[in-house]
Amino acid sequence: MSALVVERLSVRYGAVEAVRGLSLEVRPGEIVGLIGPNGAGKSSTLHAIMGAVPVSGGAVRYDGRSLLSRRPEDVARRGIALVPEGRRIFGELTVEENLRLGLAARRARRNGGGLARAYELFPVLRDFRTRQAGVLSGGQQQQLAIGRALAADPDVLLLDEPSLGLAPKIVDVVFEALTQIREAGLAVLLVEQRAQRTVALADRSYVLANGELRLTLGPEDAGDTDRLVAAYLA
Amino acid sequence: MSVVRRIPELLVPAVLILGTALLGLEVSSYLQAYFLDTLVKVAIVVALYVFIGNSGVLSFGHISFVALGAWTAGVLTVPRDQKLAIMPGLSHFLVVHNVGNIASLALAAAVGGAFALVVGLPLMRLSGLAAGIATFGVLEITNNVLTYDQSIGPGLNAFSSVPSTTGIWQAAIAALISAAVAYLYQRTRFGRMLRATREDPAAAAAAGISIYRQRLLAFTVSGALAGLAGGIYVHLQPLQAGGLSLNLTFITLAMLVVGGSGSLLGAVVGALALNGLFSFFSAATNTVDVFGWNLTVPSGTAELALGLLMAIVLILRPSGLTGGRELSLPRRRAVADLEKARATT
Amino acid sequence: MTLAFLNLTWPTFANGLALGGVYALMAVGIGLVFGVLRLVNFAYGQLIMAGAFALAYGSQWGFPNWASILFCFGVVLGLSILMDWLVFRPLRTHSPAVMLVATFAVAFLLQNIALLAFGPLGKSAGSLAILNAPWDVGGVFIKKIAVISVATAAGCLVILQLLLTRTPLGLHMRAASMDFRTARLLGVRANRVISGAVIISGLFAAVSAVMLSVQELTVVPAFGTQDTILVLAGVVLGGLNRPVPATLGGFAIGFANGILGGVLPSNQSQYLPSFLFAAVIVVLLVRPDGLFTRARGSVERV
Repeated sequence: MSALVVERLSVRYGAVEAVRGLSLEVRPGEIVGLIGPNGAGKSSTLHAIMGAVPVSGGAVRYDGRSLLSRRPEDVARRGIALVPEGRRIFGELTVEENLRLGLAARRARRNGGGLARAYELFPVLRDFRTRQAGVLSGGQQQQLAIGRALAADPDVLLLDEPSLGLAPKIVDVVFEALTQIREAGLAVLLVEQRAQRTVALADRSYVLANGELRLTLGPEDAGDTDRLVAAYLA
Repeated sequence: MSVVRRIPELLVPAVLILGTALLGLEVSSYLQAYFLDTLVKVAIVVALYVFIGNSGVLSFGHISFVALGAWTAGVLTVPRDQKLAIMPGLSHFLVVHNVGNIASLALAAAVGGAFALVVGLPLMRLSGLAAGIATFGVLEITNNVLTYDQSIGPGLNAFSSVPSTTGIWQAAIAALISAAVAYLYQRTRFGRMLRATREDPAAAAAAGISIYRQRLLAFTVSGALAGLAGGIYVHLQPLQAGGLSLNLTFITLAMLVVGGSGSLLGAVVGALALNGLFSFFSAATNTVDVFGWNLTVPSGTAELALGLLMAIVLILRPSGLTGGRELSLPRRRAVADLEKARATT
Repeated sequence: MTLAFLNLTWPTFANGLALGGVYALMAVGIGLVFGVLRLVNFAYGQLIMAGAFALAYGSQWGFPNWASILFCFGVVLGLSILMDWLVFRPLRTHSPAVMLVATFAVAFLLQNIALLAFGPLGKSAGSLAILNAPWDVGGVFIKKIAVISVATAAGCLVILQLLLTRTPLGLHMRAASMDFRTARLLGVRANRVISGAVIISGLFAAVSAVMLSVQELTVVPAFGTQDTILVLAGVVLGGLNRPVPATLGGFAIGFANGILGGVLPSNQSQYLPSFLFAAVIVVLLVRPDGLFTRARGSVERV
C-alpha cells in the first residue's frame, strides 16, 4: 500500500534550520501526530511536504515517487491535501464555492470526494452552503477547511493545528471527524498543540523540538503526563 | 572614523561629475552639447534619488518640479523687450520683473521646493500604488496647466529667448551641489530615519519615527533640487512643456533604476551611463563614425535602446547596476561580520 | 459650469457612455492581471496601440473588416502572451514598485518600436470609420459606434461575470486574486490562472482597440497611453483589487471624460485632464482603498 515517507528532511530559512533530519512515515488508515512547542518545525514539515517551502536536504516520497521540487498545486494533485493553519478559507466566497475550490486537486477518473463527502461529514456546511464563508463561526470555518480538503478525495490528509482557537466542544467534533477519516482509509498527519488529546487519538505521535525528533509515543502514553512534559522541556 | 570612511560616498560621484565636465571642455562644441545635457540629467536623477532612493516610494511627479523650476527661471530672465513677443498672454507682474542668472536659479530651486512641499503635505500620507497614481496626477496636472496657461509662460510654444547661461561649469556646479546636498541629507539624522522607514516601516514607526514627516522633508529637498535642475535646463536650451512630461519622467526614472535607486553612486552612474548611451544613439541619427564605420540609425533608436536596457536590467538585476551599495573604504572584517550576524538574527 | 450642463445633449451623453464602456473594459483588463500577479500593467495602452495599428494596416491592405478585426485580436493576444512570458513571469516575485517601473519600461519600448516602424504621423482607422455615421434613434442622431461600444462592453462584462462565477477557471481566478498561496495549496494551477487572466485581459485590450480606433479616428504611436493613464486612475479610484469597483471606477472616469469633453467650451475643456486628476487625487486622499469599496484594510500585499 502507498505510504507517505519523509526521510532525513531538512528545511532552512537563511541561517535558521527549522527542520533537521526528520524521518517519519504515515500509512493508509492511520493517524500520525506531530506535536511539540512553538517553532519546533511542525508547520515547516507540512509545508515542505507540500512543496511550499524549499527543502535543503532529505527526501519526501509518496507511493514510491519523490515529491521534492514539485509545485504545491502538483503535490495537491497527487492526492495530498493540506488543511492549513488558521484555516485559510476564502471569506468572500460562499461555503459551496470554497468546497468547489477543493475540487481543483481532484484527480481525473475518480468519483470519490466531492461536495457530498464534505456535507456528509459536516452537515452544518450544507445548511450554510450559500452563505459567505467569512460569516461562519471559527468552528464552522474549521469544518469547512477540512471539508474542502476532503472534496479533493485525497489519500493523505495533512492538518496544521485544526483545534487552534476552538471551543472544547468544537474540538470534539473535529477530532471525531478525524477518527471517521481514518476509518475511511486515509493517511492522516496531524500537527497539534493539544498534546495529550493528539497522543490519545493518534496511532503514533512524534514529539518535535528544535526541528528534531525527540520522542515517539503511542496511545498508551496519553496518560503519562510526566513523559510528555519532559519531552517538551528537553 | 566613520566620516572618513564615508568620504568616497560623495567623492566618487563628485569625481565622476568633474571628469564629465573636464571631458566636455575638451571636445568640439557640437559634442559638448551632449555633455551639457548629461550634466543636467545627472542633476535631475540625483534630485529623484533624494526622495525615491531614501524613501523607497515611487514618484512619477518629480518632472513637474523640474518643469516649474524651468518656467520660473525662464520667465524671469527673458529680456523684458522680448517677453510679450513670445509670451503675449503673460501676466503683468511677470512682465515687469526680471532677475539675474544666479538669482533665477535660486528662485527655481525655491519654487520647486515650495511646490513639492505643498503637493507633499497631502500626498505623503499615501503609499504604494495610491502614491504612484497621485504623483502621476501631479505630473499630468502640472503639464496640462503649463501647456495651456499663457499667463505664466509660453504655453504650447518653446521657451525661446532665455539667455543661454548654462555652460559646462555652471552645469557641473549644479550637479555637484545636488550630489553634495544628497550626500549631506542622507548623512543627517533625518536621512537615516527615512532610510530606516524604507527598510522596515513598522519597526521605524514603532521606534517613534514619523514616516509622514520624514518623507515630506525628503520630498521637499528633492523638489528643490529638481527645480534647480529645471533652471539649469531652461538656460541651456529652449524647452517645451511637452518635453517636460512622460518621456523625461521615464528617461530619468530609467537612469535611477538602472544605476541602482538605493545609492547616490547608482544615481550618478545610471545618469552618466544611460545618457552616454542615449547621446550616442541620438548622435547616430545624424551618422556617427564608429572605428571607421559610418553608423546611421533611425530616430527613436535611442529611446528604444533605453527601454530595452531598462527592461533587461529590471528583470535580471532589479537592484540596479551598483546593487544599491555606496562605495566605502573596507572596514575591519570583524566589525563587518558582527554587523552581518546581527542583521540576520 | 451651469452653461456646461445646458450643453449636455443626447449624442454627447451617448459618447460619454461609449467611452465609459471602453474604459470599463480596460479597467477590467488591468484589474484581472493585477488580481493574480499584483502587477499594474502600465503597458496595457501599448497592447491597444498595437491592435489599433493592426486594424489600420488590415484595412490598408484591403482585408475585409472581419479579417482586420481578427488580425487585431491575433496581434494583441500574441503580444499579451509574449509580455507575460518575457516580463510578467520573471518579475513575479519582485516588489509592486519594481513591476510597475518595468511595465513602464515595456510601454516606452513598445511605443518607440511603433515610432520606428510606423512613423510619428499615424494612420487612419480605415474602413471601420463608417461606424461613426449616425443612427436616427427617435429623432436623436447617435453615432453607431457609441451604441456598438456600449453594447459590446456590456456584453463582454456579462460574459466575464458568467465565466468568473460559473466556471472552475473563474472560481480559481477569483480565489487566486484573494490568496494565491492558499489557492495553490488546494491544487489551483498558478500557470493556468495567470494565463487565463492574461488572455482575457488581452481579449479586452483587443476589443478596446477596435472601439477606440473608430472613436478616435487616427492611430499614432502614443495611442492608448493617455487612455491607460486615465483608466489606471479610475481603477485605483474604484479599488484595484475588487473587480466590480475597479470596473465602475474605469467607467466613471471614461464617462466623465466623454461628457465633459463634449459639453465644456474649449477654453475649459483643455484643462479637463487637470480636473479629472485633481478629482482622483482628492478621492485617493479621502479613500486610499478606493471609492466603491467598503472601508477595509489595504489590498496591497507586503
